[in-house]
Amino acid sequence: MNPGVNAVERVFRSAGVTGWLHAVDIDDGREVGMRADEPVVLASVFKLPLLLELHRQAERGLLDLTERVRVPASGRTGGGTGLSAMLDDATLSLRDLAYLMMAVSDNTAADVLLARVGREAVNTLLDGLGLTATRVTQSCREMLASLRVDAGVADQSDVNQACADPEVVARLSALDPAVANRSTPREMTRLLAMIWRDEAAGAASCAAIRRLMALQVWPHRLASGFPFDDVAVSGKTGTLPTLRNEVGVVEYPDGGRYAVAVFTRSYGTAQNQPRADAAIGLAARTVIDQLRTHI
Amino acid sequence: MDLVRHLGYFLVVAEERHFGNAAARLGMAQPPLSQRIKRLEEELGVRLFERSSRRVALTEAGRLLVPEAREIVARAERIRDLMADMARGAAAVVRAGVPADLGAPVLAALIAGFRDRRPDVRLSLTEMGTAAQVAALLEGRLDVGLLRHPVAGHGLACGPVLVRYPGVLLAEDDELTAWAAVHLGDLAGRDLVMFPRDAEPGLYDDTLAACRRGGFVPAEVIHTDRAEFALGLVLSGTAVAFGVPAEVPGVVWRPLAGKPLAWRCSPAWRGEPGPCVRDFTDVAVQVLKDDAGMVDEAMPPAPRVAPRPATGFLA
Repeated sequence: MNPGVNAVERVFRSAGVTGWLHAVDIDDGREVGMRADEPVVLASVFKLPLLLELHRQAERGLLDLTERVRVPASGRTGGGTGLSAMLDDATLSLRDLAYLMMAVSDNTAADVLLARVGREAVNTLLDGLGLTATRVTQSCREMLASLRVDAGVADQSDVNQACADPEVVARLSALDPAVANRSTPREMTRLLAMIWRDEAAGAASCAAIRRLMALQVWPHRLASGFPFDDVAVSGKTGTLPTLRNEVGVVEYPDGGRYAVAVFTRSYGTAQNQPRADAAIGLAARTVIDQLRTHI
Repeated sequence: MDLVRHLGYFLVVAEERHFGNAAARLGMAQPPLSQRIKRLEEELGVRLFERSSRRVALTEAGRLLVPEAREIVARAERIRDLMADMARGAAAVVRAGVPADLGAPVLAALIAGFRDRRPDVRLSLTEMGTAAQVAALLEGRLDVGLLRHPVAGHGLACGPVLVRYPGVLLAEDDELTAWAAVHLGDLAGRDLVMFPRDAEPGLYDDTLAACRRGGFVPAEVIHTDRAEFALGLVLSGTAVAFGVPAEVPGVVWRPLAGKPLAWRCSPAWRGEPGPCVRDFTDVAVQVLKDDAGMVDEAMPPAPRVAPRPATGFLA
């Protein structure tokens, strides 16, 4: 067994989570995994393949990333950030919507873009990349609606409270990889590696995607494992009740670059679990430390 | 009179036992040779040869003088050779300054390597910090030194720059030993034991500046130039130290991720390097590579700060 895995298991256990993980050296292919081929729920991590399909369609001339889109104040998808939290009509370019979707996981921006490119187009792209365990089946709005329905509450604002109940969490279809947007840790690192090697799309598109992933604001998960000025961390999080994910790339000053995908489910149902968030970063550092010592 | 020269004539006559043959060997006429031997006898107040028509024999005083004269003549020749070397720009002694922490095997390899290269030249080594070496080189008290960079040595010339990337020495029960490589920022909250600033001001300031950039500001910096004392502090968990792996039970070495510290060193001298200084430089560079794990200076990676939206400035 991989020597890194026991240490990773300890990290997860002491944070009160179950973890699924895969990490790979982007340039030499060495890897560390734990339950790396089991299906996992992506939550907002699905915004990464959506972003890739957006750029692929722009490359084919199907859309113009600078095209301006009106996003009215009414009818927005719920969420605590970006346009989902803003109150007035807005007009943004497609690529600035993509920025909000990646930087602050804006659900409204994601649904506007998903409606524009089409979820089947995203799945066709994933097929073409050989990522057949990765599927986009739901928009953010559908995901949130399933939470409300499964929790048995009438209003979206009651979902948070209801999901503090373990019995409610147990019946959320949004947490079932057979239903929700899904992938495996290994397929996510393959996708990241293709983006970092300019293989997932044209070089300019891959660079634009990397830029947006580096602009993600959250410091508490993957980035928290690398509190070092000379290490660059790019990523995309995903969060649902008891579910905390992040996939991203960690780049060292000596040129070493590592794709890592970490998916967790916490035993507890509390929303605020900074140790569970930090476990994603610590687990990532643990496996990257192993990859860097040529195990 | 020139005693050494006269002793030289004496030895030739003593070997030839014949004034004519001796004069021929010396490339001179016989009368002046006889004259000079007579003057030597007057000077010393003894007779050195029994002269007969056929042959010349040493007196007892003459026999006594032969080994003494041989020694003086040989020494005089050696003085001339040495001074001739000096006149050609080669010194019979090379005075070299070396850093205190070079280590016994490296020091031994340096001395052996130089002896192989120049068996005729004595290598006089002095353990000295960079600051002292710079002063000694400028004042002519050293011929060559091994300086730590960065160094302000106006008027000195430097040989090839070699570099070594120090790691960190930790007590084996330090939690950081779980990592295969340690970041400077991981060391936060620990004290640091270092060489005194006086000895290596440039390297000292450089090292602490890199620590601050990396997020490690030691609450206390303990100074010592004794390796044993530093290791004792590490062993007890009192402080961490930077350096090469130490073969001490209880002390664990880990590389620093991203090589944030680079310890550079190069031979240095004042003015034009003589042949011995050049030989010392060649030997020192080879020994530092072979025995001290140093490598040719690569282009150091430019220090970078990877921007992060949430933790960067203006967030």
